[in-house]
Amino acid sequence: MPLSQYFRLMDVMARMALRADASRFFLGYIWWVLEPLLWVGVFYVVFVIILGSRSEDFLPFLMVGKLSFVWFSKSITQASNSIVAGKGLVGKINVPKTLFPMAMVHEGLYRQAAVFLMMFLYVLIDGYSVTSAWFYLLPVMVVNYVMIIACALVGACAVCMARDFSPLIGLGMMFLMFTSGVFWNVRDLDPAKAEMVLALNPLAFMLDAYRQILLVGIPPDMGHLLSIGAGFGALLCVMVLVMRRASHYLALKALTA
Amino acid sequence: MSNEARKVMLELDSVSLSYHTGKKTFDAGKHRVLNNVSLTLREGEALGVIGRNGVGKTTTLRLMAGILAPTSGRVKVASGKSASLLTLGLGFKPDLSGRDNALLAAMLQGSSRKQAEAFLDDIAEFSELGESFELPVKNYSAGMRSRLAFTAALMTHVDILLIDEILSVGDAQFRTKALNAMQNRITGEQTVVFVSHMTDQVKALCDRVIWLEHGEVVAEGPADEVVDAYAEQVTK
Repeated sequence: MPLSQYFRLMDVMARMALRADASRFFLGYIWWVLEPLLWVGVFYVVFVIILGSRSEDFLPFLMVGKLSFVWFSKSITQASNSIVAGKGLVGKINVPKTLFPMAMVHEGLYRQAAVFLMMFLYVLIDGYSVTSAWFYLLPVMVVNYVMIIACALVGACAVCMARDFSPLIGLGMMFLMFTSGVFWNVRDLDPAKAEMVLALNPLAFMLDAYRQILLVGIPPDMGHLLSIGAGFGALLCVMVLVMRRASHYLALKALTA
Repeated sequence: MSNEARKVMLELDSVSLSYHTGKKTFDAGKHRVLNNVSLTLREGEALGVIGRNGVGKTTTLRLMAGILAPTSGRVKVASGKSASLLTLGLGFKPDLSGRDNALLAAMLQGSSRKQAEAFLDDIAEFSELGESFELPVKNYSAGMRSRLAFTAALMTHVDILLIDEILSVGDAQFRTKALNAMQNRITGEQTVVFVSHMTDQVKALCDRVIWLEHGEVVAEGPADEVVDAYAEQVTK
């Protein structure tokens, strides 16, 4: 399949899925921002109202972390099951198997565009101002997207080969939620530990980068960001090649497992 | 031109396909779907594939379309030729309109967005859906859904058309229309492999037929002969 046809098809699949999804609900597209807001609301009730253990700035801190994390976790969870869920199509057409997770991640990108817009507006309304550091949002988002695609391809391949990976991915997302500083600030740890968390957990680095840019006005460590981008970019390329070579095998696994 | 003189479009050479079923389940083990199947398809030929459920007919088409690869043996498609499986309900989303679903189905079958959009009016007309074409497919009756699916599938233009059981659609009037449309496609230079349980249609559309049983070819020859032998076996 020519590359241009591949990307057009991916885009149409994503748009159609969004349209189908919106038509199922009374509130339609409003759910794009309502769902993540409800997530933030739930955590706010638990951590601020019930436990009362956080500072005044906790809501913007939580919003930026949680909304960025949800993009990552939801995209990967859904994309991981995409080949298996699309086995009706897998058995009928010979298309690259990457198309299924890619369309799912692309769908998430459209949703996230609305969520980010809402998040930026909230941050501004809350009294934070636009600084020169905001220019760094673009590379951070690009690296985040590359990270999501690479992980989504790994997840989709793994679940296709053994369904057992599906619950493990869900568990992995829960683990990442607690270890990536969604509810707590990596920078509150002692410096050595903070450095270790940021070095070992790329997602913690990404969430911290969003917060540093939007809430503190400091650009991220670009060297670190580029190394994450290069690492996941390489993983993405490897996965595309692997899935291309294993296309028939993945189809057989999707159809017969 | 004699059949042998025509160009070979597709060839299955001692093709077998097997896979392992899930471990630690009651049905664990190796499942052999096709065993040493060989056949040749020539340009402009209409080849029928018949057999009971589960004998490997759809798998044969999937191998020809390049969706699956054989465990052993070779599938050879003539250089520069494309083979595509024509099948009903390609990824239909019930919440989307007939128009959206038809667009998606056409693109999944290899059309560009422009080509797919150009097909939409023809699809709306042939499927006889009228204003329902703009409504969500979840509101369609089974017959309307089949008509949309058949028409969207019919728009595919490939060198080798692999047809999997798609003529049993809609009411009697639409079935006749569908059969005629398919006959028009086949009587041209279109190369076709046609899988169906409807032996009358196989006889009407195909020059040659292979009969599969337990993943193996048990008979191959002129459509009338093979279909009659199969019908006799089935009714025994």
